[in-house]
Amino acid sequence: MAQTALAVDSPEHGTAAPRRVRRLAGRLGADGRAWLLLLPSLVFLCLFTYWPIVQVLLQALTIETFGSQATSLGLGNFDRLFADAAFTGALLNNLVYAVGTIAPSIALALALAVGLQEATRFNALLRTVVFFPVLLPLVAAAALFLFVFLPGIGLLDYYLATLGAGQTNWLGDPDLALWSLVGLTVWKNAGYYMLFFLAGLQAIPLDLYEAARIEGAGAWRRFTRITLPLLGPSLAFVLVIALVNVITQVDHVVVLTEGGPSGATDLLLFYIYQTAHESYDYGKAAAATVVSVAILLALSLVSLRTLERGVHYEAS
Amino acid sequence: MLTKSLKLLGATGLALGVGLGVAQAQTEIEMFFPVPVEGKLAKEMQSLMERFNEAHPEIEATAVYTGSYDETNLKTRAAIKAGRPPAAVIMSANFILEYQLNDEIEPLDPLIEAEGSSADAFMDRFWPALHGNARFADRVWAVPFHNSTPLLYINADHFREVGLDPDNPPATWQDWAAAASKLVKREGGETTRWGLMLPENYDYLGWIMTALTMSNGGLYYNPEYGGEVYYDTPSMLGALTFVHDLAHEFEVMPAAITDGKAVSTAFFAGQTSMVVLSTGSLSFIRENMKDDYRVAFVPRNVRNAVAIGGASLMMPKGLSEEKKQAAWTLMNWLTSPEISGHWSRFTGYFAPNRQAYELPEMKQFIADNPDAKVALDQLQYARSWFATYNTVAVRKALEDQVQAVITGDKQPKEALEAAQENADAQMRPYVEATALKLPASM
Amino acid sequence: MAAPRPLMRAGGARFDSGRLLAIALLAGVALVWSTPLLWMLVASLRPQNFGGLDMASLWPDFTPTLANFAEALESADFARLYLNTILVCAGILAVQLATITLAGYAFARLSFRGREVVFYGFLLQLMLVPPILIVPNLTTITRLGLYDSLLGVMAPYFASAFGVFLMRQTFRTIPRDFEEAAVVDGASWWQLIWRVLVPLARPGMVAFAIVSVVSHWNEFLWPLMVVSSLDNQTLTVGLASFTMGAESASQWGVIAAGTCLVAAPLLLAFGLFQRQFVNSFLFSGVK
Repeated sequence: MAQTALAVDSPEHGTAAPRRVRRLAGRLGADGRAWLLLLPSLVFLCLFTYWPIVQVLLQALTIETFGSQATSLGLGNFDRLFADAAFTGALLNNLVYAVGTIAPSIALALALAVGLQEATRFNALLRTVVFFPVLLPLVAAAALFLFVFLPGIGLLDYYLATLGAGQTNWLGDPDLALWSLVGLTVWKNAGYYMLFFLAGLQAIPLDLYEAARIEGAGAWRRFTRITLPLLGPSLAFVLVIALVNVITQVDHVVVLTEGGPSGATDLLLFYIYQTAHESYDYGKAAAATVVSVAILLALSLVSLRTLERGVHYEAS
Repeated sequence: MLTKSLKLLGATGLALGVGLGVAQAQTEIEMFFPVPVEGKLAKEMQSLMERFNEAHPEIEATAVYTGSYDETNLKTRAAIKAGRPPAAVIMSANFILEYQLNDEIEPLDPLIEAEGSSADAFMDRFWPALHGNARFADRVWAVPFHNSTPLLYINADHFREVGLDPDNPPATWQDWAAAASKLVKREGGETTRWGLMLPENYDYLGWIMTALTMSNGGLYYNPEYGGEVYYDTPSMLGALTFVHDLAHEFEVMPAAITDGKAVSTAFFAGQTSMVVLSTGSLSFIRENMKDDYRVAFVPRNVRNAVAIGGASLMMPKGLSEEKKQAAWTLMNWLTSPEISGHWSRFTGYFAPNRQAYELPEMKQFIADNPDAKVALDQLQYARSWFATYNTVAVRKALEDQVQAVITGDKQPKEALEAAQENADAQMRPYVEATALKLPASM
Repeated sequence: MAAPRPLMRAGGARFDSGRLLAIALLAGVALVWSTPLLWMLVASLRPQNFGGLDMASLWPDFTPTLANFAEALESADFARLYLNTILVCAGILAVQLATITLAGYAFARLSFRGREVVFYGFLLQLMLVPPILIVPNLTTITRLGLYDSLLGVMAPYFASAFGVFLMRQTFRTIPRDFEEAAVVDGASWWQLIWRVLVPLARPGMVAFAIVSVVSHWNEFLWPLMVVSSLDNQTLTVGLASFTMGAESASQWGVIAAGTCLVAAPLLLAFGLFQRQFVNSFLFSGVK
């Protein structure tokens, strides 16, 4: 961290500050003051994030037997979890879904941001259109796409038929269903990521492009040598958000496929949701939660490193 | 005379309440209910509640809409876990068993007996097919509220077009496959009209497979014990092979998964000539179908048999005595012949209460709607619904495999073996704690 | 404020073929992107037509009807649903703005022992959304006596890792000169936050507000779980009543109308204020 707190550490000459707060803050010193500021957030984080994690961990290690109050501690839930083909299937699906969703959404968002960065009326209209799906509830989007994907009659087949294509069962073909969900997700999220790229682009000084142009650099070269490196922080940020999205959003699976056909669209969180709420196997669900939390942590540690590096870059 | 004395009692109570300046304490109860058909049912339920509350000033009942059957199950679970159980729930009839296994619902026998009745007398008012999912393990656990069976719907115009008689719909699998082969339309390599479509999304598919297996002489779960299913059996193999052939041999049915909404939309649009859908869709199809249509029994191979569907009222544990009584009053009112018949005419479901069909308005309704009569007639061949320990997972173990057969990824025999193995694994905790819990060596 | 870019860049961008191709491609993407929503609009006004093969047609070749809207409105108390949703969004946002400003400031400007660790601890919440923790969270909400209340829907979101992160970034981009000047003038630390940093960070807050309101307006599973009485339901839960029927036949017009009703406020707000929305987004990421 390059910066340190500076002036704020000097003694205050407060005027209208409530005396008690001032005195408390003064007595606490810099560390105490920081904790005081964090306190409101920490209270809610403890209640609704940390404590539930402890509960889930305990649940994952608790082995229950049907019809008996007695429980024991152990790794039995994890053994059962890894022996469950549905779990490994969901894990694999989620991987495909992540790669399949994140790469095109980000590429598309980036292309759209670069293409629409100039503030013309036309561009403003196009940005609005691309951003609209972000504003739609995922449940509602899924309800719409139920019709979009309807074989033969739905939006997609109706217009593809005018191009001479035949009927396709977008959600009912196990080889296609996951990719249909990928399509929905890209449609829903690309506009959101585009906004962050637009913000990042706005921060790049125009004279850099001028200089490059004078040196005779073409458009592609300018993009790879200036735009892309300077968008590093935005890219890292979007990557984190996108990673979180592919693991934590499953409303569309609930509405459209319920993980089918034959488990082809079963994603990790949906697996957890079903195991807990339909099979009441809270031990196995908790074990799966622990696994997915571990994956998320590992992923986010890596991407946060990149993020912090990007922020440094931006600050320098 | 009883009503008279009750009225008197009520009046006295009212007078006393006013006289002493004490406000009459109402018992407030909540009932969870799913809306499996259309949004307007939610409105209708609210107006039923108003009628109930008017007729029962001592009770303030609220109907809480809790989404689909599955969401209602989820919410009921959550409310019970959170220590705030509703007084009554309209629950998908095949989930009742699990609440009983987990000791989360009240047996209703004490309430029945307190009225001077017996469990036999109480259950006798309901169609026999509904008993299995309501009364088991020597107790009454649920009161049937509205019920359905799968039904074959055919497009009569299409039938006439290919020279088939719509008033003589296929009754056997042989006729069924033959009709479908005649009805299917192909242009080039593309099918432009399917002979038959089945709803194959989770839950619906399991119900359809139950019907086909039963029609093939089978019964793929143990109605007496929640730890056994019989997926890897000849009757099941025959049924699944038939489904496989419809998609891959005769090519009269899509070789991809079609969900209930897609099936009904295709039927309306004339893109399929036959469908199997719930009797719960009957009112909606009657009101909105443009083409001429007929309904018929689900065709048989060995015998006529289907499983019931629909929902029953149950009462979670952990209620105060007043709430129990109030909920019991509500449950009885909702399943009375009059209300049962009204709801049935409004929704298209059966009235589970047989006495409802003795009422003149119900007789008139059946006379006016011959399709409703077909549905009712099929009820005598109906049996109880698939229910086991861990019902959803055990059902899904089969459905995943059936879907793989339909999409051509697996052959029937290997699919059933995999389904059996997976289902056994899902039921193991229960089996080990019950049937396989044996005396250790002495 | 970020100055609008000149329409055409100096240095002479020509309308060459490459540029035309790019415009065509962008317009193509926008066309594809807009079709589902256009369909929603057209279908919601189309008379119920069961068995029609042209349900997917985007061409309004019919006399528009409000029957679908009437049926959607009839199946739920929309005034109540709108009010509840607004209350939930506003309540969450108000508390969040307080918590994230304070914490964001602490992470951006104060150095204290354990800052790194606590910061990563905060970021945990980015991943662990309520659907994952629904069972333990529901127990907590009930113990607090908040089951079936709007406050119960809001409470788990009062702390926001995303907001803290965004505010930290925003504060960091504000030059220290302002604070140093204020300190010289004798301002205390809390005056620094309230008088100097908060006004400068307003665009970041607006950006966060949009993200927060949009995500809670659209939230489904958690309100469905926490709320049981009709009086406390939110829009998405209401919408579920006509889209998620188990044995339902398909009423696409009504589904489209219901979706319209749920999404309309946000879409309209964005359409009207899109310049402000986008500008605040553009500002939040930069100096």
